[in-house]
Amino acid sequence: MSAALAIAQRELASFFRLPIGWVVIALYLVLTGLVFGMWTLRPGEPASMQSLFHLSGWLMIFVAPAISMRLISEELRAGTIEPLMTAPVSDWQIIIGKYLGGVGFLVAMLAPTLLFVVTLEIFSNPDYGPIVAGYVGLLALGMLYLAVGLLASALTSNQVVAFLGTLFFLLFMRIATTQGAAFLGPPLDRPLYALSVDLRMLDFARGVIDTGHLVFFIAASVWFTALAVVALESRRWR
Amino acid sequence: MIDVRDIRKSFGAVQALRGVSFQASAGQVVGLLGPNGAGKTTTIRVITGYLPPTSGFVTVDGLDSIEDTRAVRSRIGYMPESTPLYPEMRVEDYLRHRGRLFGMRRRALRLAIDRVIERCWLAEVRRRRTGELSKGFKQRVGLASALLHDPPVLILDEPTSGLDPTQIVETRRLVRDLGTDKTMLISSHILPEVELTCDRIVVIAHGQVRADGAITDLVRPDRGAGLYIIEARSRAAVATGAEDVIGVALRRLAGVAKVSENGALENGWRRYEIMPETDAPDLRERLASATQESGAIVRELRRDTPTLEQIFIRLIDAPGAEASESKSPELAAQGEEHA
Repeated sequence: MSAALAIAQRELASFFRLPIGWVVIALYLVLTGLVFGMWTLRPGEPASMQSLFHLSGWLMIFVAPAISMRLISEELRAGTIEPLMTAPVSDWQIIIGKYLGGVGFLVAMLAPTLLFVVTLEIFSNPDYGPIVAGYVGLLALGMLYLAVGLLASALTSNQVVAFLGTLFFLLFMRIATTQGAAFLGPPLDRPLYALSVDLRMLDFARGVIDTGHLVFFIAASVWFTALAVVALESRRWR
Repeated sequence: MIDVRDIRKSFGAVQALRGVSFQASAGQVVGLLGPNGAGKTTTIRVITGYLPPTSGFVTVDGLDSIEDTRAVRSRIGYMPESTPLYPEMRVEDYLRHRGRLFGMRRRALRLAIDRVIERCWLAEVRRRRTGELSKGFKQRVGLASALLHDPPVLILDEPTSGLDPTQIVETRRLVRDLGTDKTMLISSHILPEVELTCDRIVVIAHGQVRADGAITDLVRPDRGAGLYIIEARSRAAVATGAEDVIGVALRRLAGVAKVSENGALENGWRRYEIMPETDAPDLRERLASATQESGAIVRELRRDTPTLEQIFIRLIDAPGAEASESKSPELAAQGEEHA
């Protein structure tokens, strides 16, 4: 496990040594800050983070692939994968370490938004249930999207391909499980709705932390992470 | 220490290795020599556990490279070709990261970092980012990270490629120092490189081992390929344009493949280069009597020991090799360049 942590730490540190990390954080904070300032921080509006979480849920489709695209792809491109995979470290540890590094960055990116919560506290009297649940949901969503991006990153040495592949897959899933499901109607809509993250995010935003939703996000994340291990392993056999 | 047994490796339809076997005993410095694309890097990647072989197996210190891959990897210090590093990391941080991957404890790691930084002359760049370093320094960082966990086996893939002559000499010196207490496998396509640093060489071409032995064994004169040189002159003054009696006599000898006359020297002396047939016995006696009988005065008769390059090219072009793929002329040129 210490090897996985070493990989996670290196990964997290490298986000902050490279422009990509700062660019992603800056863009995310500017956009969420605008929304917070324009829609939430207005007299008469409820002291809630609903609109911010809603926006973040969509922004995550772009932000998560930007975080995950370089995780493995960059190692493949630069050849650093070879010293990594010839160190006494299992492919699992590499993937877990990379994933944790990405999640760590996600947390670092979301952390400054707590200032919005503080702002709400200063000006009014927010209900903390939906805020906590909203953060849990956002983190769960981000972790799932990072797992998908990690898989894409393990499949190609090209970061752009990893980014676009993840982006299109996430957008497709998002649309297929909402508008797509509504368009198809029964009986096809039920399994699609079951895969929808939107409906689950709505529950989180309402302040409900449903175990079923958590299990969905965790299981799906584990599934994509495991596929990423297979993808990495298969490079040895090619 | 390293035991490679009949490894084969195919990438799709391409057979990169077709049954490579060799051993390196403890403390030996073995050079893996071959033209580009011969299968050196693939062989090394199989040994380090980066790639599993299609068939055959490798053991390091008695441990199988696939079954006990973690144990094998922790016994190997490996510097891949072109030493890939994380450009945004500082030298020190990179070494610390590598040490942690090898499960080194904090205190031991700190000592080890100081040790390899000193040993690889990295003190002046220890706080620099690896992306800012020159090729030579990068190579040394790669070497330092391979030495960090003090492995009994060191594997270096083309350690001097892309370095300038001073850096090459430095790297060689470092490698020779290290060779005293480690089993080493060094790949190279440059002959003088292995000639200077290795106890033994394994020549690989077209995915097969073409030769394996001490350098002195490989350049043994009885393996042929060497030339015989004779400088002689006719006893009687020879008019210009007259028939070259000596050359005719030499050409008639059994075991002689080709005689080339290197033009007239001063005072009627002539210089002949005699190429023996493959597997011809020692021709010196025959050549001596033949020249004598033709009525010549001999002032020199010697057998040139073939250079490693000549032998190398012969090994690579030996039957079984696809002539179309052969890169030997290029290789010889490279060898000369670096000599």
